[in-house]
Amino acid sequence: MGDTITKVKILTQYEGMSNSRSLSTYKEHGGYEALAVALKKSPDEIVSIVKDSGLRGRGGAGFPTGLKWSFVPKTEGKKYLLCNNDEGEPGTFKDRYILELSPHMLIEGMIISAFAVGAQKGYVYTRCEFFDEIKWLDDAIKEAYEAGYLGKNILGLGFDFDLDQYQGAGAYICGEETGLISSLEGKKGQPKLKPPFPAVSGYLGCPTVVNNTETLSAVPWIVKNGSDAYRAIGTEKSPGTKLFSISGPLKNPGVFEVPLGYPMMKLVEEDAGGLLEGEELKAIIPGGLSAPVLLPEDVKDLTLDYEAIAASKSMLGSGAITIIPKRQCMVELLKLIMDFYHHESCGQCTPCREGTGWITNILEGFFDKSATVDDIDQIYAICQQMAGRTICALSDAAMPTVGIINKFRDELVSYIERGTERERFSYI
Amino acid sequence: MSDSVTFKLDGRDVAVPKGWTVMQAARRENVHIPHFCYHDGLSVAGVCRFCMVKVEGRPKMEIACNLLATEGMVVETTSDDVKQAHKWGLEFHLVNHPLDCPICDQAGECELQNSYMKVGKYKSEMHRPKVLKPKNLDVGSQLILDTERCILCSRCVRFEEEVTKTNGLGIFDRGDRAIIGTYAEEKIEHNYQENLVDICPVGAFTSKEFRFKQRVWFLEEKDSICNGCSTGCHISMHGKSNELRYYRVKPKHSAVNGHWMCDEGRHSYRYLNPEERLSRWWYKDNMNERIAGGKDEGLSILARKLKDTNIDEIALLVSAHQTNEEYEALLAYFVKELGISKVYQWRQDHEDINAFDGILLRGDRNPNTLGLQNALTKFGLKAEVKNEFEKCLLSGAKVVIALCPESPQSFPELKEHLAKLSEMPFVSAWSAHYLPEEIETISHTVPLKGFVEKRGSFTNHEGNIGELSDPFPAVIHGAVDVCEMIESLRELMG
Repeated sequence: MGDTITKVKILTQYEGMSNSRSLSTYKEHGGYEALAVALKKSPDEIVSIVKDSGLRGRGGAGFPTGLKWSFVPKTEGKKYLLCNNDEGEPGTFKDRYILELSPHMLIEGMIISAFAVGAQKGYVYTRCEFFDEIKWLDDAIKEAYEAGYLGKNILGLGFDFDLDQYQGAGAYICGEETGLISSLEGKKGQPKLKPPFPAVSGYLGCPTVVNNTETLSAVPWIVKNGSDAYRAIGTEKSPGTKLFSISGPLKNPGVFEVPLGYPMMKLVEEDAGGLLEGEELKAIIPGGLSAPVLLPEDVKDLTLDYEAIAASKSMLGSGAITIIPKRQCMVELLKLIMDFYHHESCGQCTPCREGTGWITNILEGFFDKSATVDDIDQIYAICQQMAGRTICALSDAAMPTVGIINKFRDELVSYIERGTERERFSYI
Repeated sequence: MSDSVTFKLDGRDVAVPKGWTVMQAARRENVHIPHFCYHDGLSVAGVCRFCMVKVEGRPKMEIACNLLATEGMVVETTSDDVKQAHKWGLEFHLVNHPLDCPICDQAGECELQNSYMKVGKYKSEMHRPKVLKPKNLDVGSQLILDTERCILCSRCVRFEEEVTKTNGLGIFDRGDRAIIGTYAEEKIEHNYQENLVDICPVGAFTSKEFRFKQRVWFLEEKDSICNGCSTGCHISMHGKSNELRYYRVKPKHSAVNGHWMCDEGRHSYRYLNPEERLSRWWYKDNMNERIAGGKDEGLSILARKLKDTNIDEIALLVSAHQTNEEYEALLAYFVKELGISKVYQWRQDHEDINAFDGILLRGDRNPNTLGLQNALTKFGLKAEVKNEFEKCLLSGAKVVIALCPESPQSFPELKEHLAKLSEMPFVSAWSAHYLPEEIETISHTVPLKGFVEKRGSFTNHEGNIGELSDPFPAVIHGAVDVCEMIESLRELMG
């Protein structure tokens, strides 16, 4: 590994091109060729190709995409393909990069995926703060309709597919697939009880597939180049490339496409240019705010793939790497994390509704100096009872809290005992 | 393929129909799994996360209410980790609950309180200030809402969606700021509001009618059948026999009414309390002065009057508010034994007998229309549902025995009818309601027992027989039912 890794560009292949968002640029470099290939195959063949490629959901959970598609019943009738473009996991800014570079890649991926699962209608659920991206995607959809890639009888090959964009209203929970479906249905954005799963009964009660923007955007390349080519990149269990959005006090923060299995410190030190002068690494959140924090010694030899990060008791998640510098106060960070989850809990399930508020409430005590060391144990106990007890995974927000307590308990204790001056974290 | 599945519930083999959840199975088997949001009459929400059970071989605990029972599944509801989950499930519900049980109407029948006694922690873990929310909200003609006591189980929201289909309630805001409420400028207006009080597991919804009247543990509950319409909802009357008062009516689950009943039916208790009741035997003395006497005088005066009158000048005016047994006794005596032929049905003037609100309330506001028809047929009289009140007035009868509808609630023209009746030569009004007492020209009154004070049965609109099996003692001293009345008359008339 190390320096010998060749960086294949799949999702960022249009990086640096002028007019990269336009249909003409996209087509010039092989765009919509995969679509022509796909529509001449059978839907089952496409599902097999994606299954064989080992592509896993890039939204956070890492669920095998082909397998997810295969849960959709083969019956006739209305089916929907939804693109989760509600990129809301704090620290994550990769999906917007795809829309910035090549929205047509997403559109092509969606047409092929819809063909594979038998969906006649698709929606892109976009985060409302993505003002430019919303416009870029709308323009691209319009271009695609005009060029006959969307609508009736696409490329004259008999497949009909309509695509629309829908804007969220800023709720984190609407990035959860069933929360997204509720919101798209015009209801309050609250996750739905499972079973039934969306593949069987989703949007408006019809079979529905929800995939992340990055996942769908990888589909054209896979169809065009074959599953073996995709498998040749990355590790055995985590094939392909992934976008990592890395932020913090770095010389060159941003979005990088690297093969899965890429060494984390190489990404930090080389691609992201290392920490700013005078900053020292204290901890890393490897996969978005929900992922438990890791210490420098945990990440020294850590590779960026689902298995390796899971083995270090955190998760790859959405691929949002947040660098935490030495001067960051961990009580502040913990409060910031819990404030976020407290604010974003939909309030449906009791443990999450009450638990997130309760922990935030206890953390207030750290600042008004009423906290005791027992409070740390209490937060820990509450977290244990929240995780895995609710409809969706938001209450697993307990995880980063447990992570911070596990790794920084001493700092929390000394904060209580000495009443450390507050120091604001300036990077989120 | 078999239609049932067998799984292990706490070590016991349990067979249930395919498609049942573990919660349904446990409820049938009397295995208590604590829960708040689950309700037999509503869809599954799965939000309180209290009914956690452990399924062998699965990493996470699962909620029993949304857990399909499958063949060979091994479910544990009492293991230590499950108990721990229940304890915490309760703790999360209590974190922001005001714990104002001493002033809460729900105390004594509160699922939160009961669960606390069963699986609770006995020391609160919450040492920080609680979230405060709006209280004492007037959200409907029958309802007061306290959003602080609310545990957001969403039963009420689902009731509004699924049962009344009025969608009058929603959960506003999110996280621990979430509150149940009505939409801006809107209130709940329908006739099923108090079901929200019933299904609310805590004291968030309380009944304007009942609140602060009684502690529920002082109330006696006796099963009965609602007399408000021909649906015949199974109910339990809550009252205090030592105080001779009734306080409220609650529905009882049955095939007839499911879990619900209408508010109008619930208000029947008002007309059963002493101040609304006919309490005396009124009759005219020799000087034609109206006096209130005892039962014996009342009876003997009526018996004498009947003896002195030609059989074909005696008429019966019968409402459909009495029991099957009373009609049997009445007609067996007057029609079969005495040979009276003037029997008239007494019904509302403008009733739309086939009206139905789509939930429970029917246009036929009599509990025993079918029972009366059956009895009329049995005794060879023409049975056809119709109002024969005017016919009775024009019958030329010298003596009319009028079996009055039980209350003006379901018979709004009762007063007007009685006034017209009183112009007839001699009317003996048998009534549970005080109106005949008010109309001084009514020559004779018999205080009847209310429907919760007698045994017997009503036959509802589809022929379903509902038993009045567990009577309260009559709140009126000397009140009789029709059967007792006939027995006494038969004795006196010889």
